[in-house]
Amino acid sequence: MSTAASLHQSRKRKNGVMMTLCVIAAGIGLAWLALILGALLYKGLAGVSLSVFTEMTPPPGDAGGLLNAIYGSIVMTIIGIIVGTPIGVLAGTYMAEYGRFSKLTTVVRFINDILLSAPSIIIGLFVYELMVRPMGHFSAIAGAVALAILVIPVVVRTTEDMLNLVPNALREAGTAIGAPRWVVIRSVAYRAALSGIVTGILLAIARISGETAPLLFTALNNQFWSSNLNAPMASLPVTIFQFALSPYEEWQQLAWTGALIITLTVLALSIFARSLTGRREDK
Amino acid sequence: MLSPDMTIAAEAVTKAKIEVKNLNFYYGQSKALKDITLSLPERSVTAFIGPSGCGKSTLLRVFNRIYELYPKQTAEGQVLLDGQNILDRSQDLNLLRTKIGMVFQKPTPFPMSIYENIAFGVRLYEKISKAEMDGRVEQALKRAALWTEVKDKLNASGLSLSGGQQQRLCIARTVAVKPEVILLDEPASALDPLSTAKIEELIDELQADYTIVIVTHNMQQAARVSKQTAFMYLGELVEFDRTEKIFTSPREKRTQDYITGRFG
Repeated sequence: MSTAASLHQSRKRKNGVMMTLCVIAAGIGLAWLALILGALLYKGLAGVSLSVFTEMTPPPGDAGGLLNAIYGSIVMTIIGIIVGTPIGVLAGTYMAEYGRFSKLTTVVRFINDILLSAPSIIIGLFVYELMVRPMGHFSAIAGAVALAILVIPVVVRTTEDMLNLVPNALREAGTAIGAPRWVVIRSVAYRAALSGIVTGILLAIARISGETAPLLFTALNNQFWSSNLNAPMASLPVTIFQFALSPYEEWQQLAWTGALIITLTVLALSIFARSLTGRREDK
Repeated sequence: MLSPDMTIAAEAVTKAKIEVKNLNFYYGQSKALKDITLSLPERSVTAFIGPSGCGKSTLLRVFNRIYELYPKQTAEGQVLLDGQNILDRSQDLNLLRTKIGMVFQKPTPFPMSIYENIAFGVRLYEKISKAEMDGRVEQALKRAALWTEVKDKLNASGLSLSGGQQQRLCIARTVAVKPEVILLDEPASALDPLSTAKIEELIDELQADYTIVIVTHNMQQAARVSKQTAFMYLGELVEFDRTEKIFTSPREKRTQDYITGRFG
């Protein structure tokens, strides 16, 4: 009885020590996030006004906004997603459905994982050599292509994973009723995996909307309004990069505000993606 | 040992719907079915029983060639459906599967509405009007004894139904495409006793129009629903006879041992 009691006591002590360590570790991790978000909100909100969304980036020393940068970010992100998503979804579909048992899939998955973790500056340099040098100038379309290349591995991965989660029994049921393979994929597997695949695309948008390095080498920047895809185009991340490093107070304020806009957008996308996944798990 | 003629004297008048001749089946190198020969009479229920891994599900999965979804699974020999060898390379698999429907162990409703679950299969091979489709859906749901429970919520997700209802939805879906044979792979093993009883009742009604093959772990179920029973063990067909005969006076000692619960 007394041994059991002392064992119990010592286990309780160990539990207490481990628990404290875990809480401290979690606290340290979260503290940085809170500090960053706090600073961002404090400094960013100070500069939020209507002119941010209606005026162009100003010359040093003047007041202005971020309209051209916001527009450029949206345009390049949309084109990047439109180009990258179909390739990613189709590749993921091949890997999970048609090529599930083939060697090619193993190889593609390995290469895709490398691409997934490749530093984005390398993608920027790659597109610089591929498009900017031959064309002779920086352009929005080159920026969009760089973003598309970043989108592909994310979408490939999530599409494959989500389709792999669809139980084989469901595919067998579709097949057993006489549906050809492509119909089973389109009407059964895609439907069952839809929220997961959409989540992957949303995460890809979140990933590329904050990328700076690939755009520095491709779309560069533009002080003025430009909707020409064949010319340099401003974007939020590159503008933040330029303005934050500048000695001008107005520029620094706009950089904070821009950073806040990107962070809130990504946060909203993540929450939306989470809610989609959550709804699937409820079923 | 096995008598060379596996057809059953009592059923000799009925036409054989499926004839299996010298069927061997391999998972890669390992042989899962050994020289199976048997013939299944039309419009009647046949049960496959035996311990886990004896090959009864494998045999069932040969009848609609669903095993071909996976690599390294091969069948040798002949399986004749109305005299046509379905193992022929020239056999159109999708057409074969409209003639031979299958219901699985776990209910597998498609991720769509109850109505669409049934219309999906029909639409694959028939172009019919909305009114006709409504009729087909209703008829199939009535056939599966599900109509009264779901007629007011046909647009609800098939996944919102209970397990037993989902399984009847799967049966309705299978019946809707007007197959000739229905394969049931342990259709009630994931269900509660009440739902099981409903499914068994349904099987009893369906045999008037369809040739039914059921794989089951539950010997009482085999005894209740089937006209003839095949006992399989380690990939071999040990005994195939009228169900009463198998359960009362089996010829083989291994059958006797299994039925009485001495192994398996």
